Amino acid sequence: MGQMILNGIVSAGLIAPPAIAFTLLFSVLRFPNFAIGGFMTLGAFMAYAANISGLPLVPSAILGMAAVALAVWASDRIVFQPLRNRQAVTLLVVSIALTLILENIVRLIWGNDVRGYDLPLTRPIRFGEFRITIEQLWILLVAVGVAVTTHILLAHTRLGKAMRATADNGALAEVRGIDTRRIVAWTTLYAGALLGLSGVLAGLDLVIEPRVGWNLTIPIFAAAILGGIGSAYGAMIGAVLVGITEELTILVLPSTYKVGVGFIIIALLLLFRPHGLLGEPVIKK
Amino acid sequence: MSAYLISIATFTGFFMMLALALNLQWGVTGMVNFGIAGFYGVGAYTSGLLSAKVGLPSEVTILVAPVVAAGLGACLAFLSLRLRDDFLAIVTLGFGEFVRLILLNEDQITNGPRGLPIPDRPLAGLFDRGDYALFYLALVAFFVILSYLIVERLRKAPYGRVLRAIREDDVVASVLGKHVLRFRVQVFALGSAIMGLAGALYAHYAQNVSPDVFTPMVAIFIWMSVIVGGAGNNRGLLIGAGVVMAILEGSRFLGDAVTFISAPDLSALRIIVIGLVLILMIRFRPEGLVPEPKFKASDA
Repeated sequence: MGQMILNGIVSAGLIAPPAIAFTLLFSVLRFPNFAIGGFMTLGAFMAYAANISGLPLVPSAILGMAAVALAVWASDRIVFQPLRNRQAVTLLVVSIALTLILENIVRLIWGNDVRGYDLPLTRPIRFGEFRITIEQLWILLVAVGVAVTTHILLAHTRLGKAMRATADNGALAEVRGIDTRRIVAWTTLYAGALLGLSGVLAGLDLVIEPRVGWNLTIPIFAAAILGGIGSAYGAMIGAVLVGITEELTILVLPSTYKVGVGFIIIALLLLFRPHGLLGEPVIKK
Repeated sequence: MSAYLISIATFTGFFMMLALALNLQWGVTGMVNFGIAGFYGVGAYTSGLLSAKVGLPSEVTILVAPVVAAGLGACLAFLSLRLRDDFLAIVTLGFGEFVRLILLNEDQITNGPRGLPIPDRPLAGLFDRGDYALFYLALVAFFVILSYLIVERLRKAPYGRVLRAIREDDVVASVLGKHVLRFRVQVFALGSAIMGLAGALYAHYAQNVSPDVFTPMVAIFIWMSVIVGGAGNNRGLLIGAGVVMAILEGSRFLGDAVTFISAPDLSALRIIVIGLVLILMIRFRPEGLVPEPKFKASDA
């Protein structure tokens, strides 16, 4: 039981950074970006390419983050910006097409094989009855780091305040002299870096394959919606709840159904508390 | 007509039915459905299991499948009560993946990834082996035309006017005294029924169904058919379904011609092309090849 909760917290560490990225993107661009899966996959493979060409994992991960940050920014400039005044659903269809394109570019270059980073094999660390691998410890540390960084960014920097203002009311922010286009660009870069990092973490804990990002997409949405979409802190709490719930369902359901838990959580939540746990109720129209 | 052309035409028929259903749900009523593969799969496995494991005649099971799919569709539509369109997209996508998960994992019932063999075919005794494919094409064509007539009739009727009103502004529709939720549930259930029927027809055509057919890619193909053809327009999407099939099958011929591209690379390229065409269509021709006809007061 204790070990399961620990495993759940590790999966939360995998889900939280992309959920924060998803919710930040949603809060300034106002549509659910399904392309997060494709971008995570891209990050995992970019870092892999750097890693097998001889670079240690940490600089490889940073390269992957930079590449995905640029890719998310470029996708916004080239694909989404001309479509700004369209319906959210249209943008959503475009983002699904984008995630398929990214996933298949990766497949075209690296094929369908399952890969892993070049890391020394280590024994799991034991303390008392609990076991945790070095990679999982890393995932937890990085996830906490991401949470703290995001908190400092949003609460204590000019950029973060401008991001919140833009998310809250773009037109009003514009009137107050905030260059919202620049804020959108910074948000895409930050979210992109997080997605690149998330891809590397997923590659560490699971395996590196073209669907690695897609397979996490539903739990990520579940975490973001659970926490109240648009709320970065909500996304972190949502990730912990989704991660632990996923692990605990193994007690009653075969482990192959873990992925389905995200869907059940989303469905129940939207039915009973559509604004999430932390989100404010919004009156439509 | 060669066997190959008949099989392409039959598959195009399945696509057309799915596209007609999506157009009713999204194009006319504005309800997003990314779980098309789920309803298609439920239809296929309902009919397949009832026929292969329970032993009911396929003529009956094909007609049971749409009823089951409609029931599930109605349940999902209830979720849309308080949902923004984009959240409905997430719920339906999750539903589709959940269905695939069940098909994969409950292998004592569904045979899991090995696939379910379905020997029985409707009215198989009446035809020679050689003629049967042609008969099946006619059967699928019959159901395509039937779906088209139902959906087109609904679109033109006063009922369709209410649906368009809900699409444009559901608050206004409900202020005008329309029971928005009831319309939504009905439309979603009917669309799901058509998708389930298409799935059942597919199951007895392929005679073997496996979960890897029912991936989110199905939803992408069908969305592309509707968007290329023109949302809200039933004639256009028949063309759209043909275009998508042409891209899918055309690239297969290309594969025979350019042998230096391996088969997995080609299938990846095919999906990249489909994604690009979809994005370019939305960017430069959002109304599709055949735009939705404008309704004049005199038509109504």
